[in-house]
Amino acid sequence: MAYSLRVCHLYGDLMNTYGDLGNILVLKYLARQMGVDLTSEVVSLDQEFDPDQFDIVVFGGGQDFEQSIISKDIQHKKQALTSFIEDGGSVVAICGGYQLLGHYYIGANGEKLMGIGALDHHTDKQKDHRFIGNVVIQNEETGEKYHGFENHQGITFLGKGERPLGKVLEGHGNNGQDHTEGAIYKNVYCTYFHGPILARNNQIAKHVLLNALRRKYPDADLSQAEKVPVGSTF
Amino acid sequence: MSLKSSIATAAGKSSYWFLHTFFKGGSSLPGKITKKLDPDILSTLARNYDVIVITGTNGKTLTTALTVQVLKEKYDHILTNPTGSNMEQGIITTFLHASSTKGKRPLAILEVDEANVIKVTQYIKPKAFVFTNIFRDQMDRYGEIYTTYQKILNGVALAPNATIIANGDAPIFHSKQLPNPIIYYGFDNQPDQDIKATPNTDGVLCPQCQHILHYHFISYSNLGKYFCPNCGYERPKLNFALNKITALSPKSSSFEIDGEPIKIEIGGVYNIYNALAAYTVGRFMGVSPAQAKQAFEKDKRIFGRQEEINVDGKLVTLILVKNPVGLNQVIDMISTDKDPFTFIGLLNANYADGIDTSWIWDGDFERLPKMNIKQFITGGQRYKDITYRLQVAGVDPDKHLVEPDLDKVVAMIPKAPTKKVYILATYTAMLSLRKTFAAKGFIKGGMG
Repeated sequence: MAYSLRVCHLYGDLMNTYGDLGNILVLKYLARQMGVDLTSEVVSLDQEFDPDQFDIVVFGGGQDFEQSIISKDIQHKKQALTSFIEDGGSVVAICGGYQLLGHYYIGANGEKLMGIGALDHHTDKQKDHRFIGNVVIQNEETGEKYHGFENHQGITFLGKGERPLGKVLEGHGNNGQDHTEGAIYKNVYCTYFHGPILARNNQIAKHVLLNALRRKYPDADLSQAEKVPVGSTF
Repeated sequence: MSLKSSIATAAGKSSYWFLHTFFKGGSSLPGKITKKLDPDILSTLARNYDVIVITGTNGKTLTTALTVQVLKEKYDHILTNPTGSNMEQGIITTFLHASSTKGKRPLAILEVDEANVIKVTQYIKPKAFVFTNIFRDQMDRYGEIYTTYQKILNGVALAPNATIIANGDAPIFHSKQLPNPIIYYGFDNQPDQDIKATPNTDGVLCPQCQHILHYHFISYSNLGKYFCPNCGYERPKLNFALNKITALSPKSSSFEIDGEPIKIEIGGVYNIYNALAAYTVGRFMGVSPAQAKQAFEKDKRIFGRQEEINVDGKLVTLILVKNPVGLNQVIDMISTDKDPFTFIGLLNANYADGIDTSWIWDGDFERLPKMNIKQFITGGQRYKDITYRLQVAGVDPDKHLVEPDLDKVVAMIPKAPTKKVYILATYTAMLSLRKTFAAKGFIKGGMG
């Protein structure tokens, strides 16, 4: 194959609660159709993240306990992840992964747990309430509609340089107040959509792959890859 | 019995009789009525019983049935709750329905929902608890595995003298210090290696130092002979162990427990765990190994949940799937079939199925294209999701049919290219299929 992409499945052995693996499977599936060889590797606790070794980072959602452990460990990867993001690296971050890319989130017992602040959002906590149910949003730039399932107690507020992944048409989104859901910053896509967001909305998977290909192969002709058909399972 | 309890019991019993006679039902309403009249009714009803509570995510029902079967070898009076009556009201109904056992000390073997353990132990001090496993399960309702375990322990805290009979291969059951005596069962059937669970496995953090656990071997999911290379924490010593798996097929399993060869008429490694749990309870209650073996091999109907249905000459096996660990065990089980078969996957997303369908992406459907499957059919409310799942798994589109309507799926079965058909269905899809099968006379009806 002419092109290859390497995926870092960040804390893939701990942040995997809601079918998050589906995102890796769908990236592989679409990459194959684009003629791209895609490999993935778990980078977890006590391991270094080398931004030069990867083109895409997938960072899933996990349970409170696992996430609190990761909040400490990820501080060692803060610089490398931030420079990867600033340099245009592609990231898909879900639920806990989304929260940890921001400044902080409030844990299950009310404690403030630090993120890496690579993106400018922060996450507070609803009192004794969760947003649970189906969500539909619209990407205001492309007009694409995405559908998914949300289940979160955290309420996230976007910061500088971030725009939402979409405007909430149904469901709650980031905080139930400003009709935003998820975040886009450079080539980073964040969302509260559970686990397999890319499986149910493979348009996003296609954007992620094309962004990564353009960054890695700036002069390549990607017209074939751009033609790969996608459509949501809506 | 106090006057209040007597009135409550009488009201509950007559409502049971009424419902049972006129509606062929009545599993929780009589309990509800009785509880309303006398909130402490369970302590009155259960006061003469030695109670064993069986709880955990997967395997409660079969473990309960097998435990009853094993204990019957030694005990004459055993009460148990029917499938689906594992919450407080259903349990009250079970006791209401029991016939009088004057002068005896009968046993009650109860399957109890994880969150309802405390509602039982408020009134009853069980002799033993059995913990099968804790996996993620319909997390739109239950939350995280640690939360679920804590719910169970909150109930156990009210019965500190009860013996805990726990799956020793599950790291979570060795994570908290408890005052209760504990008996562990588990697998000891493979040589020691040093491996890690696949990235998609839940619950692999060392409970002591929060590093990733390693395993000498894994039986499935995060169950196995675990150890922590960082702090030396490891699986507890097993009191009762499976030493050997001799043969596996979709319909039977042969194995040895503490050297005793046993055969059960049901497939799936997870069911061997259920048998091992029942065996352990039996030994705890004084049943001999020979008696336990005899109990497993005596009555095949006990395994009735996976009955084969004859649909116009096709041998159809209908299997309930509800969470990723259970699903992977079913995929593993059908992989042991030597004959070619047709695979049907039906996904609904009603409340009883779990409204979040994300978990299908945790299922190892990638194994399907390697099996001897001649045709795939996907359907149900979320047919698009399950269809795309199989597509991504590499299923050949030429062998793959899609039919959202479950009645039409049933009509497709006689045309299947193979004699054997496996249907994996979520709860309401399964109910709807059974209704259709019953209407067409293939089965007698109900949930069997």
